[in-house]
Amino acid sequence: MCAQQPALCFSGVTHHYGEHRALDDLHLTVERGQTLALLGPNGAGKSTTISVLLGLIRLGAGHVEVLGLPPKEAVASGRVGAMLQNGSGTGLPPGVRVNDVLCMVRRLYSRPAPLDLVVERAAITTLLHRRTDHLSGGQAQRVRFALAIAGDPDVVFLDEPTSAMDVEARRAFWQMIRALGDEGRTTVFATHHLAEADQVADRVVVLHHGRVVADGPGATLKAAVASRQVRFVSQHPELAVLNSLEGVTDVQVRGTTVTLDSFDADASIRALVRLNVEFKDVEVTGAGLEEAFLALTSDPPPAADETGP
Amino acid sequence: MNALFAFGRFEVGRLLRSWKFLTITVGFPVLFYMLFLGDRRAGEIVYGGVTWREYLMVSMCSFGALIAALNAGGSRVAMERAGGWARQLRVTPMPAWSYVAVKITASMLVVLPVVLLVELVAATFGGVSLAAATWVGLTALLWLTAVPFAALGVFVGFAVGTEAVFPVVTGLMFVLGYFGGLFTPVSHMPGALQTAARILPNFHHLSLGLEVLDGRALGAAHWLVLAGYTFALGALITWRHRVEESRGAA
Repeated sequence: MCAQQPALCFSGVTHHYGEHRALDDLHLTVERGQTLALLGPNGAGKSTTISVLLGLIRLGAGHVEVLGLPPKEAVASGRVGAMLQNGSGTGLPPGVRVNDVLCMVRRLYSRPAPLDLVVERAAITTLLHRRTDHLSGGQAQRVRFALAIAGDPDVVFLDEPTSAMDVEARRAFWQMIRALGDEGRTTVFATHHLAEADQVADRVVVLHHGRVVADGPGATLKAAVASRQVRFVSQHPELAVLNSLEGVTDVQVRGTTVTLDSFDADASIRALVRLNVEFKDVEVTGAGLEEAFLALTSDPPPAADETGP
Repeated sequence: MNALFAFGRFEVGRLLRSWKFLTITVGFPVLFYMLFLGDRRAGEIVYGGVTWREYLMVSMCSFGALIAALNAGGSRVAMERAGGWARQLRVTPMPAWSYVAVKITASMLVVLPVVLLVELVAATFGGVSLAAATWVGLTALLWLTAVPFAALGVFVGFAVGTEAVFPVVTGLMFVLGYFGGLFTPVSHMPGALQTAARILPNFHHLSLGLEVLDGRALGAAHWLVLAGYTFALGALITWRHRVEESRGAA
């Protein structure tokens, strides 16, 4: 059960799609005002988590609260907004103008956000008089974002919101998401763009096979695994010696190029000098969240079933 | 209530603006009526005192109501569900039943002009002549008793995916239409088919209209069967919704 009243609370939630276990005894609490990234490979349970939070799925087992209410009641109260993955289409009704859809959706809420504000936030001023079936993928995403914030929600869910956007649009979009957080709204977004999770979210939760495998600020996650890569050129690399170096967790040799994963790059380089390993062109880089993510999710699954939505 | 009204107005506006859809839906039964009118037997008595050309007017109204409801409900609902719009609506405060109620109402609004136009063509070219009160009564009856078709359309949209919805809609149109007695007078059908017609909703929709033309009392069985279909389809739509919630699809 959920003790205080956080924005979101998952307690012992399990959900199956037929034989496939999409969520496996999931526990998760999100404080109000937090921006949370749900990170994980396809089939990790990100979309299922969001569907459960929106009351689109009836639960097999467990307890979920959104703003202290069962998810369906939270949605009915108009304090929740969402941008979902939209299958084959744009997620918008065909044959109408963007303005018509937005105005109609605002009327579904008892206290909607001012129209001008929504239009400005989602940067859709130039799209208002366009027909919904004449939008590009990225434009449609922005319109759907406008629909998600039309009700002035306290909690916003975004399921892979930037999937149809180019790099430029993506950057602009993440600024909108940060603005939501700055206003004290709770934001949960699912993504497999690891760098974005790291840059945008206060907190990153890594899901794998329906379980939380890591939880913390993006920086903590990176620190949790081999955090530095040491790369150099050596004419006669000896694997055994390299493997024995202080701090080293992994060694890759391609011709004369050696890459070491190390949790203590300074110590590893000192050891190279001490052991008289000849090397040149040393380069030390911080491993990205991507490496952290791969390290966290590389374990084989408990149940051998990779299929599922 | 406000939400229901806002969404209802939006949906009806959207439907009325799709003039291609409306032209085809309204045009099809009118075209069929004109084609059948060339039949040499058009003046033949086929039901009580009702001629084939009068019978056809009612049967094409029924066919038009069926087509309108299956297209306005079935095809459009299936596409909206596949495209993600129906799901987007489910994460707004609007309750799920409102979506169904508005879809059924919007289908009914398309049925009305179909009935009116077939009647107009029948009066103009088919030589059908009725008292003003009979026209009004017949129109209201044929329109309001089309509710089970509207419910059928929405159910098809919920139950069938986009890849199958066109064949299913076309199949239902001709199976329900033909075996319901819309293209051949039921009295001219072989015995087994006459019995089969009685379990189909269009037969009862048609029969109510024919009873008005023939000046008979309206049969209670027709009302019961049409109400039964409406109730059963409502239950089926609710059931589909429940199944999806427990599966987590759509």
